[in-house]
Formats: sequence, structure tokens, C-alpha cells
Amino acid sequence: MRNLTDRLGSEWLFCDGGAGTFLQDKGLAGGVLPETWNIDNPDAITDLYRSYFQAGADIVNANTFGANVLKFGDDLEKIIKAGVDLAVKARLDTGRCDAYIALDMGSTGKLLEPMGDLSFDEAYDIFARSVRAGVDAGVDLILIETMSDLYETKAAVLAAKENSDLPVIVTCVYDTEGRMLTGGTVEAAVALLEGLGVDALGINCSLAPVDMYPVVERLVAASSLPVVVNPNAGLPVVENGKTVFTVGPEEFVEQMISIAKLGVNVVGGCCGTTPAHIKLLKDTVSKMPFIPVAAKNDCVVSSGAASVTIGGGRGTVVIGERINPTGKKRFKEALRENDIDYIVGEGIRQEDQGADILDVNVGLPEIDEPAMMERVVKELQSVTNLPLQIDTTDIKALERALRIYNGKPMINSVNGKTENIEQVMPLVAKYGGVLVGLCLDEDGIPTTSDGRIKVANKILKAADKYGIPRKDIVIDGLCMTISSDTSSAVTTLETVRRATEELHCNTVLGVSNISFGLPAREIVNSNFLTMAILSGLSSAIINPGCEPMMQALTSSNALLDRDPQCMKFINRNGNYIPYAKLVAGEAQAAAGSTDTAANTQQTQGAKDSLFECVKRGLKDGSAKAAKEALATRDSLTVINEELIPALDVVGKGFEAGTVFLPQLLMSADAAKAAFDVIKASMAGENQEIKGRIILATVKGDIHDIGKNIVKVMLENYGYEVIDLGKDVPPEVIVAKAVEEDIKLVGLSALMTTTVVNMEETIKQLKVAKPDCKTVVGGAVLTQEYADMIGADHYAKDAMATVRYADEVFGQ
Amino acid sequence: MKITPPRKEIERYLGYRGFTADDTVAPVIDEVVEELGKNLQPKSVHKVFDIEKLTDKEISFAGLNIGSEGLAKNLSGCDKVVMAAFTIGHGIDQLIRRYEKTNILKAACFQAAGAAFVEEYCDMVNEQIRCYAQATGHGIKPRFSPGYGDLALDLQKDFERILGMSKTCGIALTDSCLMIPSKSVTAFIGMYPLDSGIPESTCGSCEDCSLAGNCSFSK
Repeated sequence: MRNLTDRLGSEWLFCDGGAGTFLQDKGLAGGVLPETWNIDNPDAITDLYRSYFQAGADIVNANTFGANVLKFGDDLEKIIKAGVDLAVKARLDTGRCDAYIALDMGSTGKLLEPMGDLSFDEAYDIFARSVRAGVDAGVDLILIETMSDLYETKAAVLAAKENSDLPVIVTCVYDTEGRMLTGGTVEAAVALLEGLGVDALGINCSLAPVDMYPVVERLVAASSLPVVVNPNAGLPVVENGKTVFTVGPEEFVEQMISIAKLGVNVVGGCCGTTPAHIKLLKDTVSKMPFIPVAAKNDCVVSSGAASVTIGGGRGTVVIGERINPTGKKRFKEALRENDIDYIVGEGIRQEDQGADILDVNVGLPEIDEPAMMERVVKELQSVTNLPLQIDTTDIKALERALRIYNGKPMINSVNGKTENIEQVMPLVAKYGGVLVGLCLDEDGIPTTSDGRIKVANKILKAADKYGIPRKDIVIDGLCMTISSDTSSAVTTLETVRRATEELHCNTVLGVSNISFGLPAREIVNSNFLTMAILSGLSSAIINPGCEPMMQALTSSNALLDRDPQCMKFINRNGNYIPYAKLVAGEAQAAAGSTDTAANTQQTQGAKDSLFECVKRGLKDGSAKAAKEALATRDSLTVINEELIPALDVVGKGFEAGTVFLPQLLMSADAAKAAFDVIKASMAGENQEIKGRIILATVKGDIHDIGKNIVKVMLENYGYEVIDLGKDVPPEVIVAKAVEEDIKLVGLSALMTTTVVNMEETIKQLKVAKPDCKTVVGGAVLTQEYADMIGADHYAKDAMATVRYADEVFGQ
Repeated sequence: MKITPPRKEIERYLGYRGFTADDTVAPVIDEVVEELGKNLQPKSVHKVFDIEKLTDKEISFAGLNIGSEGLAKNLSGCDKVVMAAFTIGHGIDQLIRRYEKTNILKAACFQAAGAAFVEEYCDMVNEQIRCYAQATGHGIKPRFSPGYGDLALDLQKDFERILGMSKTCGIALTDSCLMIPSKSVTAFIGMYPLDSGIPESTCGSCEDCSLAGNCSFSK
């Protein structure tokens, strides 16, 4: 048998077609797992294989699509072995020893965290067990197909590659817009799969060939790997209670001819296609000219749902720099206190401000960086689709992040030191990623562009050796402050220009370093950014919240014809107020206020007081008012005399039914904004708390907005909340309560079926921590229910929880 | 398919009773509806089955044998039943997660709007099913979902097995039989012969619900 990897991409290859309809015709009842027939009806399965071998399929799937441990338990190996054995025999009987047998692996049917309840490692283990069974049974390749989530796909590919040496082909399901069910795009999928080093990729199921056309076009345009297309025979329709597919062999093949002309390399069928479809497909398409795969040069980073392309004549990409403790007291404190919400909040803010990619640096000597990196990456990916840049010098943290990251990340960084290259590059080669190469090595930072380009070359050569494509290296020409060496910016700009023109590489800079030690840094930084972009800079690590930087970037992109119709510039700067007008406006406002000074100040004072802002739910106003209040009063006075009374007014209104939940929440958000300001001013100081409370949504429940509302309210009232999240097993809650000596635990449940887990938690708590009270709430809870399960208190809403906490902690 | 749920439904899910949102909250609801509108991926799947057996507490069809007085009452007079699954996709869940971190009011509004959107989407597909039923001389009963009344939540697994909803709609089940995306619905919809004289009903009744009297969202 010729090597499959040699043939992929150099000649036409044909997959088999549908199995479900074939087996239903043989009597497979709806709801019966098809894989059971590997043992229960081997004749039918043999018939299926033979038909496809005879039809000319080069790759025939073993009947193992749903064969995973979740469905078959310890029978799994037996089911897979039986399915593969029959295929081997059918291949022999039909004289098709040139053909390959695939271990066919589909989705687990479960969704991965953070969307679902299956962890990445669990998904990996499920796939790994099927892969090992397939390898033992003697398959020739692993076909991962009908995938509708990129994260699960990554788990499957890693399982395939780490547990076998076989070729791996992956096909996903897209809608006509080129989107997967969990949001992944064609380009994001290609980036991920190329990065993971699969042998071919493509699309299957869901659509007829004619509907796949635009999606296949995008696949071929993006992929440097052979493209596989296995469509359905049209959409299923129900006729007389039976599911049938309406596109017959002739129509199917006619549609496939256009697809074949797009430059795809492997074709076959999926649901509803039959051996007749595949035979005609092979007879027709094998006579058409074969178009070999062309390597693409785009530098693409991705997340589970989106991708960003760097360079290639596009506008300079913004990499948000704010998730980084360097020089930030508040951020360091958040890291030490596990305040993930603060860190994630920095990410969301930067996205809103226009970042394309988020740099993630959580390095602090006193914390467990690999664990923190994993947690922050997961949390960020649960709330944003922006690709991330993993920024660490800790190799363990890097590996952990690369493994659990959903997509193809950017990696910051490798340098020219041999030891560093040997640590970082194997990881990038394995998991995929766009790697930042710093122009420094064992001899330090070269002071000339010649020296830096030499290091860049060394990095590129090493990447080549490790099989990392040049398009995935982005050169960092290094910014050193001009305050210590006035020629340093010139050297950096020259390095950027030469890396672009001579090495044909994309480039990146941590721009703000250029002005360290100078006054008015944003003036220097933004002008330098403009120069760097003109020199070819394709991505910039900056603070997207710094307006002058974003002005420099958006206008440079527009001026250099990298912003089609200047749309990005217009969208961002449409409401720009010219500087002179701004200054004049401020002067006028100042003059106006002196006219009726006493009067205005009084009413304005009342209007803008923190009390009023919180009461009326003005978020921005509250933050501002808190800042002003802190200028004259200490934080405790501000909290006790303004914040808490305002919250109380709203809370009492809510209890009386004159204020509705949305207004309560608006005030809560406004109070939170004020607290953030106060907290930042107190960073490092001891803060007074009323008590510490555990909150958790119990095991089995995955909806936790109610609990999160309670959390916000409790925090505003001065409690420290240990939020254990959702789907939390009783043991975890009890252990934490004991470990932290907690006096009050709040539990939330949404379904009657999960209230039993609430009851179990309370039972265990009463034994392990008798002095700890419990308060319960959630959609299905009632006072009777709460009494029945032995809870100390039932809270019908967030305010009621606050009141009970006040009671417990004697406030 | 454009989904536009009634504004008052969103407000009802937010806890307004007898009032409408004032001008501080109303614009937030507007923003939320607009943003959610851009992040919808509505999908549904359904299959029709003949009812093989129907007593006042037991129903058999599609190889299922379901003990539920609530469902039996709902299906009385029916000779066919539709099993259906609906979702508005994963976008809403990410939006809720995101805003929980930055703006709890918006998170709550997304929660309410998501509920209203999926209900509205169910109603729209329901109308298609009604048309299909009419063509065969049938009327349809109100939707009846697992977890409602005495109908076991475990039936979700049968919906997955029979409809393959994880593959067709992207609806996955957790170990505890909750659906992801959260704004998803599974339901039985009874079909009765139009000539049987059963009055046509369009709306489920709160009286049948196990939370009757204890629910802050009752209509």
C-alpha cells in the first residue's frame, strides 16, 4: 500500500458516502446505535464496506463514528475491533488493497467548557481511548468528522496525534455562511488545524454540494493543506415518516464538478449519498485535471470563533497590552487575590476600545503562574472571541496555555538564545501559533539594525528546522527608550523596515517602551507609532484605551491605503472634537461656572454626589464622584455616608415594589464602579469587610446569573464573596467552608432535579461545619422547599440575601 | 427568519408587573435587543410520530413509554405527536457571561431577552408545524416540555437520541440533562384530528404548572 500522506494533495482521492441511510434500508431501527451492528449484524456492515470499496472509494470509514466510551463503556474496544476487522476483510474480498481504512471519529455529543460541562482533558481522554482502540485494530488513518465545535476538534486532534502515528484528516460542519454551530469560521478552523499539523482538512455533512460552494471557496483560499469535501445528498425531507435525501447521483456529481474545479483534493459524500453517488463521482472527477495544493502566506491567529490576519497589506493590528502586572499595583493585587473578574474585565474593556488581539501576561514571582495562566486564558475565552497572545517566560505556563487554548494563539516570545529556542519552538511546532521573535540573543540586545536582523535570521532558520512556517514568525525589533540612547528609535525603525523588506516577515513592537523616562510620553509614543507603521510595522502592542495611540494607528492605516473606504477611521473618529474647540469649550464652561458660582456649585454638588449617582444608577458618574469624594474624605466615610445609604434607598424601594430589578441592578453596577475606584485607591491597605460568604450554584446546574446578581449585591454591601461558580459538587463547597472557616453559604439551584444536590450539600455542611448557616434561592425554590431540605433560610431575591447576611453577621 | 418578541415579554421576564420600563432602563433593553439580534443562530428540528397508546397517565410512541398525567392530559384526543427541539444558538450565553463581568443590568436584560427570543422562535416554528398539521387534517396542542409538571427531565436524552439535536441544532445535554445553549427548548406537540371537535388552544396554562402560585413570571 502506498503511503497516504504522499498521495494526499498530489492526486485525486475519494472518500466513501453515507452509512446511515444504507443501514436503515437494511433494517436499522431509529434510535439503535449503528455501531452495535459491527457485532449484531456483521453481514450488513460487510455489505456496506464492500459496496464502497467496489464503488472506488480510496478511504472507507470503519463503522465507528459514534464509538466512544460515553456510549459503549468497556465494550468500546470490542465494537471498534469488530468494525475494523470487517473492513479489513471486505477490502481483501474486493481486491482493494490500495484503499485505506479510517477510524471514523465523530463528536462526543457533549459540549466542552466553558459552554458545556465536559472539560477539555475529559474530552481528550474520551477520544484518546477510541484512537488507541483503532490503532490496535489496525486502521490506516484517523478521520475526525462532522465536528461542530473547534475546541472539541482540538481535543480530538491532540488525542489522535499523541496516541498514534497515523495520518489525521479533519472535516467540520459549516452553515452556508461558513460558520460552525459554536461560531467557528472557516478561517479560524484552518488556522487551528494547520497549527496542529493535521494532514488534510475540509467540510462534510449538513449541506448539498451546491450550497457548500462559497464555503469551499474560502477553505481553498485559506488552506495550505489538501482540502476534503464530503457533502450530503441535499437536505433531508421526511416522506411517509421516513427520512430521505433528494439529490440523486447525477445531480450530486454535476454539482461536485464545480466544487472539484475550485482546487479541492479529496471528495466523497456524507448523509444520503450511496455507493452509486461515489462510483459516478469517481468516474467523473478522476478524469478532471488535478490542482495541487498551493501554500498560502497569511499570518493568522485565531480563537474558537474568529481569526485575525496580520500583515499582507492590511492595517496594523492592535494587540492590547493591559493584561500585565508590570508597574500596575491594582493588577498585582488582583493576581494575588485571585480576582479573575478584574483581570477579565481589563480584557473586555480593551476589546470595546478596539483591540484585535489581547496580550496575556500574569507573571508574578509569588503566584503559581501555570495555574493562573490556564485559568485566565479559559476565563477570557469564555467572554471574548478575540485571539490571545500568550505572554510568558515560564515554559510550563506556556505549554499549559498552548494546550488548553481554543484556537491558534500568538506567543510572546522566543529570542535568539539557543536554549530559549530549544524550549519554545518544539511547543509551537506541536500546538501551532504565531511566534514573536525578539531580536536579542546570548550577547544581549544588538545596538545596530545589522545585529538585530542577524538574530532575526537565526530565529527564522531555527523555526525552519522545527517545521514552523516563516509566515508564523513575527519579528520584534525591540523598543529601547530614547531617553538613555537618542539613536535607539532610529535603530528600531530600521530593524522594522529591514525585517519587512529583506526578510519578508511581519513585525511587532511593544511601542510605549520608546519613551520611558520622558514626560508627555503619549506624544512621543504616538508619533513613533506613526513612523513605525510607515516603516512596515504590522502589529503593535499598545493600550487601546490611549486615544492618541489609536488616533495615530487608525489615521496611519487610512493614509497608507490599509483601511478600505477609510471605514475603520470614520467609525472610530466620526465624533471627534478638534483640540482647539475642546480647549475653548472647557474655558467657556469654566467661565460660565464663575458667573453664578455659589448657585451652580450647590445644585451641581447635589446632582453629582455619589449618593445621587448610585441611586440613579449612573455608572460613569459614580466612578467620577467617588474619585472626587476621595479627594476630601477617607474611603470608609465615603462608603458609609454615600454608597451604603444610596444602596439602601434603592434596596428598600425594591423590597417595597416601587423599584424593579433593572433599576436595582443599575444602582448595583454604579456602586460597583465606585467601589472599583475606592479599591484602587486602597490597593495594598487592609480593607474592612463585614463577613465572608461562599456562593455556589449546585452540582448539575449550569445557569448562574441569579447567583451572580446576589454576588454583586453582597459585595456592594461590604461582604467578601468566595464565588465557587456553577455545577459545584457538595464536597467542594464543604471543603472550602471548612478550610476558610465560613459562617454563611449561599446556594442556588434552578431545576427541581438539582435541588437534591442542594439538600446533599446542606446535609454534609451540617456534619462538617455545624456553625455554618445556609441560605438558598433560585427559580424553583420556595419556603416549603427550603424547609424540606433543611436550609436555614430561604431568600426570594438578592436583597433578601443581603438582609439575611446582615442578620447572620450581626449588622 | 426575523425574530421580534413582544417588548412586554422581555419586561415580564425582568420582573416588571403592570409597569413598563422607564427611560433609564428602556434604552438598555433596546441596546440588548439589537446586539442579541446580531448574535442569533436559530435552529430547530422536529419529527412526527403516531401515538400507539394513550391512557390518562401513560403514553406510548416512537418506542417511548412515558408515564405522565400532565402530558397525557395535554395529549388527550391526539393521534399523533411532534417531538421538537429549538434553540437561538450559543451567542446569547457568551453575551450573558460577558456582561456578568462588566454590567450586571445588561446581563439580566440579555437573560430576559434571550428567554423572550427563544419563546418567540418556538412560536414561529410552531406556526409552520400548525400548517403542516392542517394539511393532514390536524390541529395542534400547546407545547409541553420535559421538566414541566410531572414530565421527567430525563426525557431530554430521548430527544437527543431520536432527534439527534446535538448534530442538527447544536443542542448538547449536560450530565444533569440541562440544555446548552441555555436558550433552547424541547417539547412534545400533540396533533388531534380537526374533526374531533376539540377546541383549538394556543397558549399553555399556568394552572398546569407545578410552580403555580409561586412563580414571579406568571402571566
